[in-house]
Amino acid sequence: MFSLNHQLELKKIAVSSLITCIYLPSIVTVISYKGILYSIGKSSSFYVLVLIFIAELLKSFYLNSNVQTKKYKGNRNRAGDIVKAFVFLLGVIFCFFVGIILFGAPVLESHDETLMLSTLLTLLTVFPLIALTGVEASMQLLFGVKNFSRDTVIEMLVNNALLTVCGAWLGAVVIPLDWNTPWQQWPIPCYLGAIGGYVFSNVLSVVKITMMSAANKYPVLNFFVSVLNKFNLSK
Amino acid sequence: MKEKWHFIFYLIWFSYLILSAVLMFGHGFLLSRKTLNDVSDCVSLSKIDCDGRENTLKGTCSDNIKIRHVSSFLGAPLICAPVPNRVILILVDALRYDFTEYNPKLDKPLFYQNQLTVIKKMIEQWPESSRLYRFIADPPTTTLQRVKALVTGSLPTFIDASSNFAAMELQEDNLIDQVVKSGGKIILLGDDTWSRLLPGRWLRSHALYSFHTWDLDTVDNEVDSKIYEEIKKDDWDLLVAHYLGVDHAGHRYGPNHPEMARKLQETNARLQKMIDILPPDVLLYVIGDHGMTDSGDHGGESKAERTAAMFVYRKAGLGVEEEDKIGREVQQTDLAPTLSAALGRPPPAPSLGNLLFSVLPKMSLPMTLLHLSNNLKQITKYLVRYGEESQQVPLDKLAYLINTTRDQIEKAAKIESDQDLRKYVSDVRNLMENIRVVFREVWVEFDSLSMLRALLLLLLAVFFNWLITEGIPFERISNIFASTFVPCGLISMAICTSVCYTAYYFNYIEDLEHSIILSTGLISGGMTCVLTIMHWDGITQRWYEGRPYFYERFSRAALVASAVVLVSNSYVIEEGATLSFLSFTVIGLMAWNIGTLKALVLWMGCGIVLAGTRLYRGCREEQGDCWTAGEGMPTGQASRAALVLALGSVSAIVAVARRHTGWRGYGIALGGLLVCAHWAVGWGSLGSPAQSKLLAKLAWLVLVVIFILIWKKDGRGPTLPLIILGLLLYLANVLVLGASYAPAAALSLLSGFLALNVVSLLKTDGSSKYSLNTRCNSSVACLWALLACYNFYGTGHHATLSHIRWAPVFHAGDPNYVSFGPVITVVLVSLHLFGMPLMFGATVPLLALWGRNGVSTLGSRTQLAAVFSLCLKFALCFAIRVFVCALSATIHCRHLMIWGVFTPKLLFESGACVAALLGTIMGIILTVWHLPTHQRKS
Repeated sequence: MFSLNHQLELKKIAVSSLITCIYLPSIVTVISYKGILYSIGKSSSFYVLVLIFIAELLKSFYLNSNVQTKKYKGNRNRAGDIVKAFVFLLGVIFCFFVGIILFGAPVLESHDETLMLSTLLTLLTVFPLIALTGVEASMQLLFGVKNFSRDTVIEMLVNNALLTVCGAWLGAVVIPLDWNTPWQQWPIPCYLGAIGGYVFSNVLSVVKITMMSAANKYPVLNFFVSVLNKFNLSK
Repeated sequence: MKEKWHFIFYLIWFSYLILSAVLMFGHGFLLSRKTLNDVSDCVSLSKIDCDGRENTLKGTCSDNIKIRHVSSFLGAPLICAPVPNRVILILVDALRYDFTEYNPKLDKPLFYQNQLTVIKKMIEQWPESSRLYRFIADPPTTTLQRVKALVTGSLPTFIDASSNFAAMELQEDNLIDQVVKSGGKIILLGDDTWSRLLPGRWLRSHALYSFHTWDLDTVDNEVDSKIYEEIKKDDWDLLVAHYLGVDHAGHRYGPNHPEMARKLQETNARLQKMIDILPPDVLLYVIGDHGMTDSGDHGGESKAERTAAMFVYRKAGLGVEEEDKIGREVQQTDLAPTLSAALGRPPPAPSLGNLLFSVLPKMSLPMTLLHLSNNLKQITKYLVRYGEESQQVPLDKLAYLINTTRDQIEKAAKIESDQDLRKYVSDVRNLMENIRVVFREVWVEFDSLSMLRALLLLLLAVFFNWLITEGIPFERISNIFASTFVPCGLISMAICTSVCYTAYYFNYIEDLEHSIILSTGLISGGMTCVLTIMHWDGITQRWYEGRPYFYERFSRAALVASAVVLVSNSYVIEEGATLSFLSFTVIGLMAWNIGTLKALVLWMGCGIVLAGTRLYRGCREEQGDCWTAGEGMPTGQASRAALVLALGSVSAIVAVARRHTGWRGYGIALGGLLVCAHWAVGWGSLGSPAQSKLLAKLAWLVLVVIFILIWKKDGRGPTLPLIILGLLLYLANVLVLGASYAPAAALSLLSGFLALNVVSLLKTDGSSKYSLNTRCNSSVACLWALLACYNFYGTGHHATLSHIRWAPVFHAGDPNYVSFGPVITVVLVSLHLFGMPLMFGATVPLLALWGRNGVSTLGSRTQLAAVFSLCLKFALCFAIRVFVCALSATIHCRHLMIWGVFTPKLLFESGACVAALLGTIMGIILTVWHLPTHQRKS
C-alpha cells in the first residue's frame, strides 16, 4: 500500500516520536523527584536545556541518517552552515523573547526566566527543522514559501512546533489565578505547557502511525486516523 | 431607502432590551436593607416603682435599688440615664488612623506622618482623660453612608452609595432625633450632608456645600470662625462640627503631599485650641469617618479606607480602660449607642453597636448596669421587630440570638463586685459582636425572582439576536429590514406598554416598571423567534456551507472566554492582562492568516502599543505586588516628562490626522491645540488655573462645533466623518483623562488603528460576496470588543469604586455653580471611565468600510446591511459580557468578594455596555446620514 520511501519516512517519524515520548517525560520526572521542578524556569536549570539540545541533536542525526533526506541539504560548507544556523537560532530566540514580552510577560524584571522559556521554545520548534533541512529551507518553510507533503518528517516537525507554542500559550492560563501555588510562578506553567504540548504532539504522531499501519488489517481504524488528522494544525 | 431608519430603530430596540434587563437585575440584586420606623423611648427613673414596673408608684426606695430591679427585668422599659453630659463631636473627614500616630523614631516622616502632635501630648500627659482608637468603618466608605451609620449605629448597604449626590432625609431612628426628643439642643457646623440628612433638628446650623472637592479651605475656615464661640456658650447639649479639608486634600493631592501636611497641621492647632478652652466636664470626640487609599480616594473596603481614627478627651477623666489603651479596634457602629448614653438617651432603635465605657465618664456599678440593660433591651426589641418584618435572618438563628440576649439581661441581677461587672461587660460585648456579624452576613436581601427574570430576558435577547446576525444569510438582511418587521416590533412594544399602564391604572398590577420590562422583553423574544423560524432554511444552509477559518473560530472563542473567566475573581482582578493577551493573540492569528510581512509588522506594532499601555494600567489592592510597591495612581499634577509626552502625543496625532481628513481636520487641529494649551498653561506653580480652565472650556466648545459639523453632507461617503468622530471622541477622552493619562489614550487610538489595518488586509478570495463575509465576520467585531474592553484598563481604570476619580469634573471649572451641574458631573465622570468603549463603539462601521477592499465600493444598501450586522455583533459582544457578569454575581451572591470584586465589575461592565451601545448607535446614525441615497444598484 505504501511506497518504500513512505514507509521509511513513517518509521523514522515513529521512532523519533517514541524517543521523545520517553526522554522528555523522564527528564521531567527525574527533576520533579529531586524536588527541583519549580526551579526549572530559573537560569540554574540550564542543564535541562542542554539535555534537550543533545537529545534533539541526536534525533536529528537519526533523521538525517538516510540518503533520502540528503536532498534537503547541500553538504558543501559544514562549518559555515553551523555558524549560520547558530546566528539564526540566536535571532529566533530573540524573536521569541520579544514576542513573549508582548504577550504580557514582565518586561525586564525577570528577563532570565523569559530567556530560558524562549530558548526552550526555540529548541523544541525551530532547532529540529534547522538541523534537518538547514537554514534557508527552514526559513522558506517557516514563511510558507515552500510547501511540504503529508505524512513526512517535516510535517511532523512543523506540527510539533505549532503544538508546542499552543502548549506554552495555554500554560499562561493558570498564572492569574490566586491559588498561591509554587508552580504558578512565571514562567513555570508556560515552560511545562511547552514541554507538554511537544510530548502531546509526539504521542499523537506515534498513535497515528500505529493506527495507519493497523488500518491495513482493520479498516475501521481509518476513522480514528482522520480524527487524529484534525489535530494537524499545519495545513 | 426607508429601511435605513429601521436598522437604527432595531439597534435602539436591542439596546433597550439589554439595558432594561440589566436595570431589572440591578433592582433585584442591589436591594437596600429593610429600614424599620421604630423609635427608642425611655422613661425617667422617677416614674419607676421599686419592683421595676412602670407607673405604679407605691413604695419609696433609692434609685440604686430601682436600677438593680429594672436592669435585670425583661419587661421593664428603657430608662433615661439621669446625668446627661455635654458632647462635642468633631468629625475630621478621612482622618486615617496612621495620621494620628506619633513615631519619634522616624527620621524622615512622610507628609502625613507625625503631624498631630497634640494627640500624642495629651495621651502622654493625661492617660486617664484621653483615648486613641482605631475606628473601623464598614464598607462602603463614602461620607454619606458613614454619617448615616454613625448616627443610627447600623450597617449601611451598597445601594445607598448611589444616592451620595442627593442626600435624602434619614427615615430611621438616630442619635440626633433621640437628643431632640428629650429637648436637647444641637449645633451643626460644616458639611451640609448632615443638614440634608436631618433637616430641621438644629438649634443653630452653619452648613456649607461639601462637593467643591478642590476647595481645601473654605469649609474649614467657616467652621473655625464659629466653633470657638460656640464652645464657650452653654446653651447646647451636642455640638457637631464636620471638617472637610483633609478629605479634599486627599482627593486632590493624595496623602503624601505638602498640602496634606498643611491641613493636618491646621487640624492640630485647632484641636489644641479647643482643648485649651474646653470645660472640664465636656466630652470631646474627634473621629474620622473613613480613611483613604494611597491615592487619596475612598469608597471601597480596603484596610486603609476602613481604618479611621477616634480620639476622646474629657478633662475630668474617663471610664476605666480594661485592655491595651492605644490603637484598639472599635467599630463605628459603637458610636451611636455610646454617644446616646453620654447624652442620657437610650440607643437608637436600629443600632447594632455596644457601649464603650472607656470613652464615657466614670460610672457607678448600678449606672453601668443600667446602660448595659438599655443596650440589651434595645437590641432584643430590634431583633424581634426585624424578625417580624423580614425573613432575611434564618428564624432559628434569630431565636437563638434573642434568647441569649434575654438570658444576658437576667444575669444582671447577680452582679455584685467590679470583677463580675468586668466579666459581664465583656460577655455583652461578645454577644453584640456575634449579632453584628450575623447581620453583616445577610444584609443584602436579593430579590431572586426579578434577578432570574432579568437573566432570562438577557438570554432571550442575546440568543435570538445571535441567531439573526450569525445565521440569517447576508442577502436576506436588507429584505427583512425593508419589510414591516421593525415597525411591527415597535408597535407591539407600544401596545405592551400601554396595556401594562392601563392595568396599573386600574390597580391590577403593582409594579409598573417590572411588568413593562418583562412583557416587552418577552414580546421581543417572541418576535425574533418567529423571524428565525421563518428564515430557518437560510440559517441551516448558511451553517452547513460555512467553512470558517481557524482565526474566526478562535476570535469568537476568545470573546466568550474573556466573558466566562469573569466568573473567577482572580481573572476579574487581572482582567487587563487577560484582555491584552487575548486581543494580541487574535490579531496574531489574523496576521498569520494574511501571511504577509506587512501584517507581521502591524501585529508587532499592535503588541508594542499594548505593552506600552501597561505603564498606565492601574493597580488595585487585591493585586498585591504593585499595591505594596506603592504603584497606585499618580495623583495631582503630571510630572514634567508626563506633560511633554502628553503634548507630544496629542500634537502628533492631530498633525497626522490633519493631513488626511480634509477641511474638518482643521477643527480637530484647533481642538488639539486648545487641549495642549490647557495643559501647558495650567501646569506647575507658574501656571494660571483660571486661563487653563478657560482654554478647556474653549476646547469643549470647539469639540461641540466639530460634532455639529460632521453632520454636514458632502456626498463622499461615511468613512471620513466616522474618522473625525473617532478623533473627536479621542480628544474628549484626552481632556477628561488629563495630562498624565493622555498618552494612554493616544496608544489606545493607535492600537485601534493598527487593528483596523490588519482587518483590512484579511484575505477576501476575490469576489465581493466573500469580501462581505470576511469584513462583516463576527471575529472582527469580537476583536474590536476585546480591544474596547482592554482600553478601559489601558487608560488607567480598574473595576473598583475607589478608582472613580472626581478630578475630571473640575478640569474646566466647577460645574456645581451652574444649575445643570449634576448632569455635567455625571457626563464627565462617565466619559472619563467609559470613553474608550464609546470611542470604539462609534468607530465600528469603519471595520467594514476601511481600506481598499472594504465594502465602501459596493452599493449603499449592501453597505448599510454590512455596517448594521457589524454593529449588532459588536453590541452583542458587550451584551454577552454583561450577561456573564450578572450570572457570576448571581452565582457568587454569598461570596466573600461579592461587594469587593463581582458587584463593582457588574456595575462597570454595565457602564461600558451602555457606552458601547451609545457609541454604536451614534456611529450607525452617522453612517446612514452620509450614505449616498441616489445609487440603488445592489
